[in-house]
Amino acid sequence: MTQEVTVNIDGAFIRAPKGSTVLDAALGAGICIPHLCRVPYLEDIGACRLCIVEHIENGRSKITTSCTLLVQEGMRILSNTDRIRKLRRNIAELLVTEAPNSRAIQDIALRCGVVETRYPFRNSDCVLCGRCVRACTGHFGEKAIGFVGRGKDRRVESPFNLYSELCNECGRCIDLCPMTIVPCDGNMKPGEGRLCGNCESKMLTEEAAQGYCIGCYMGDGFQCERSITNTL
Amino acid sequence: MPSPTITTLLEGHRSQPHQLIEALQDVQKHYGYISEDSMRSISDELGVSLMEVYSVASFYKAFSLQPRGKNIIAVCTGTACHVRGAKMVLNQAISQIGAEPGEISKDGLFTIEHVNCLGACALGPVVTENESVHHHMDPGKLRKLIKSLKKGDKEGASHV
Amino acid sequence: MSKSKLKTIKDLAPLRNSLIKEREKLRATIVICGGTGCQASRSLAVIDEVKKQLAKHKLKKSVNVRTTGCHGFCEQGPVMVIEPDEIFYCHVSPDDAAEIVTKTIRDGEIIERLLYTDPVSGKTIKTESEIPFYLAQDRYLLAQNRQVNPCSIEDYIAIGGYSALAKTLFELPPESVVKEIVNSELRGRGGGGFPTGRKWAECREAPGDEKYVICNADEGDPGAYMDRCVLEGNPHLVLEGMMIGAWAVGARKGYVYVRNEYPLAVKHIQLAVEQARKLGILGENIFGSPFSFDVDIARGGGAFVCGESTALMASLEGKVGEPRPKDVHTVVDGLWHKPTTLNNVETWANVPSIIKNGASWFASKGAKGSKGTKILALTGHIKNTGLVEVEMGKSINDVVFGIGGGATNGKAIKAVQTGGPSGGCLPVEKFDLPVDFDALADAGSMVGSGGMVVMDESTCMVDVAKYFLTFLQDESCGKCVPCRLGIDRMLEIVTEISEGRGTSDHIELLEDLGDTMSTTSLCGLGKTAANPVLSTLRYFRDEYETHINEKKCPAGVCQALITYIIDEEKCTCCGLCKRACPHNAIAGKKKQVHSIDVDLCQKCGICMSECKFDAIQIQ
Repeated sequence: MTQEVTVNIDGAFIRAPKGSTVLDAALGAGICIPHLCRVPYLEDIGACRLCIVEHIENGRSKITTSCTLLVQEGMRILSNTDRIRKLRRNIAELLVTEAPNSRAIQDIALRCGVVETRYPFRNSDCVLCGRCVRACTGHFGEKAIGFVGRGKDRRVESPFNLYSELCNECGRCIDLCPMTIVPCDGNMKPGEGRLCGNCESKMLTEEAAQGYCIGCYMGDGFQCERSITNTL
Repeated sequence: MPSPTITTLLEGHRSQPHQLIEALQDVQKHYGYISEDSMRSISDELGVSLMEVYSVASFYKAFSLQPRGKNIIAVCTGTACHVRGAKMVLNQAISQIGAEPGEISKDGLFTIEHVNCLGACALGPVVTENESVHHHMDPGKLRKLIKSLKKGDKEGASHV
Repeated sequence: MSKSKLKTIKDLAPLRNSLIKEREKLRATIVICGGTGCQASRSLAVIDEVKKQLAKHKLKKSVNVRTTGCHGFCEQGPVMVIEPDEIFYCHVSPDDAAEIVTKTIRDGEIIERLLYTDPVSGKTIKTESEIPFYLAQDRYLLAQNRQVNPCSIEDYIAIGGYSALAKTLFELPPESVVKEIVNSELRGRGGGGFPTGRKWAECREAPGDEKYVICNADEGDPGAYMDRCVLEGNPHLVLEGMMIGAWAVGARKGYVYVRNEYPLAVKHIQLAVEQARKLGILGENIFGSPFSFDVDIARGGGAFVCGESTALMASLEGKVGEPRPKDVHTVVDGLWHKPTTLNNVETWANVPSIIKNGASWFASKGAKGSKGTKILALTGHIKNTGLVEVEMGKSINDVVFGIGGGATNGKAIKAVQTGGPSGGCLPVEKFDLPVDFDALADAGSMVGSGGMVVMDESTCMVDVAKYFLTFLQDESCGKCVPCRLGIDRMLEIVTEISEGRGTSDHIELLEDLGDTMSTTSLCGLGKTAANPVLSTLRYFRDEYETHINEKKCPAGVCQALITYIIDEEKCTCCGLCKRACPHNAIAGKKKQVHSIDVDLCQKCGICMSECKFDAIQIQ
């Protein structure tokens, strides 16, 4: 029998199995903490930093990612404070200006309150969330693709950028890629300083719908555990 | 096919995945760079996936994935050297050799590298040419150094 | 000299006594620095020549030549000290060897021209201890460098080496060692300043039989090289510290992770380990005690981020040096998921003397909250560059002006950069701050590993910020978003500012982004990556504003905002600049004033550094 612990997330007492992460506990209870790099059943690496929360310990607050924080009995977590919202917004802004053409990332950005951006758009086709890499190495153990280089040269590649004989064409990497989940139909041009109006009209920003699921495009398994039907 | 030398080179690291970096160091030292074939051999010998070998080799600065010139000119661009004008020294090297850092010059004689700190900060700007350290460098001194290296090589070539 | 294994603790003292006796017979010892700095100034050739001359004059047996690690005063290299009188010669060349041997060694005469001249009084100084540079320091760790040949375990034993280990193994149970380190209030010298004793205690208490100790010698901070000098100059001291630590936390295996860019340090620590194994100081049942311990050397692959503990451990495991979240500390879940104690070179080097002299001895030195001494790498626009060791709590003024001797070329000192890429720039008005962990952190910088790069008025602070961002962009592992994209965007903005395209919103944006990076990044590199920008914004905001509003670089550094011109009156038409210009931008015939073609000029500044008549100026 799995042991369970009780954690307090945003005032709600939540039972979660020992060894699970705070993010999983929160999502399971319908508290939608935004996240990007996390994939259920794969190792969490804490790369996108969107799922940051405040962990209150001995009267002090420590900001850390909830996907790498394991639940402990009596733990107190705040996932939606002003401070967290501001930081999360800034991180989402970095992501969406890097890849403004991904509908998935646009949705996350809007969900995090990014309406206007302060950096020029870059139109990258990868934000290095590593979902594909972990699907390939972790789930199937194939290691046909991986991270190459470091810093600004970091990228996802197969060895020597040649077709890897280890690839069994399962397509899981493509399924998980935030750049391929319903690609944006109104492509951003370099220099355009706003997110495209197309999405904005369809989306409710977080301010407009606080506490409710806004039915983001990523759907099941990407943003939260709830299905799209549970919308406002 | 792995050449016999690389097999001997990897002798001490066989079947020890955690020795990957040490193995790459040895290959780098012996060949001056790490080729695709070397990486495949390392992958086989150490029991590490090719992807991991490629990831590690491309992550660390000590490893060069392309052949390098006969002379390696490393310009230190650490803070202490930077405030004393290392950038000028680097620019001098690039324009004189005609190749960007990490690239090999057309004549195959030189590769320039910029190193983040050589740990001889009191003597900056510092430049190492192959193994020897030159201190208090300026563009003029470097120009002479590169000239003498070019000349030295021509002399060396004429003896053959 | 017995070279056989030391089977019991009783074998150590007789060996030491015989070594000391042997040394007492010597007439003199010529100490020559063979550290990287002095080697660059050809000290090895000096050593060869001195040895030749000694043989020629039949003094080989009575005079010992000791090649040592760095003495710290690299600017004066090659440096030579003649014991027992401590005569200090600087800038020694191989040609001086014959004279030194005949005059100073044989006849006891001093060679005036090789002595150090005090730049303030203009007088020559005879002995090392009288030189102001050394006089103002508190040298405990660095002083030992002069006394030992790093390639000789006998030298180390002769000055009392491994006696602290012997004391530990036979008199102090592990708990007492931990208590001693806790009481000494030693804090990590690598950058974080975490209390070493607490780290050891937590690692000792962590469950598991298999534990590790690691020495972090991956000194990646540009502008800092104290770890290199300690490891190069006194590797056995570091080994002894690690062994005491291993005994305390219960580890049987240690690793030294050393930068491959430091070939001499790699060589010396490898040799030290071999020698210690031969003497039975490393291996099974050391000195006949139940304690067994061995050390492996791992060469780093060249990544600044590997200075971060979890990245270093990943690298030791043969993986990419990516940090991982530290929600569980490495003292519990470290190398190969085993409890691991990781300290840097200087921290380990402090341990033997704490055990030997007691915690209260160590705690009596330094300032409140920052005990002991710290080695600083004093570099940049300053007269006396080199490594200095001072008690913590000394003011920056005392270090920069007292020991460093102030600026060169009569320029005014503007700032000091401390703590490398994770630290910050402090203006000259803040120079009364003490060098201690908390005071510098409160001021927006940090002690870090101890690099102190002094900058004079010819330095542009926007350029300095840009320099560090370029460095960090190259060195970030790229794993987490705030660090990778944050640094990228910061560099983008600072570049805009330095090229005259800055806007008034940029400063606020930099501060906001900096806050996000320091709070949300995964590891220490990202959390501190914004410091160079934030600290320059805090103290040198006016420079940013001048770049933004007036499109000018006050220091004349930012290339896009300056033009080079030739002063017609000063130009002697020598043609030096024309030949030096790599871009063929200078025109002018013989006996005709030269001019710079603005379109071709890449503003590299080479012509200016070449001109001997100050005829090329920045506008």
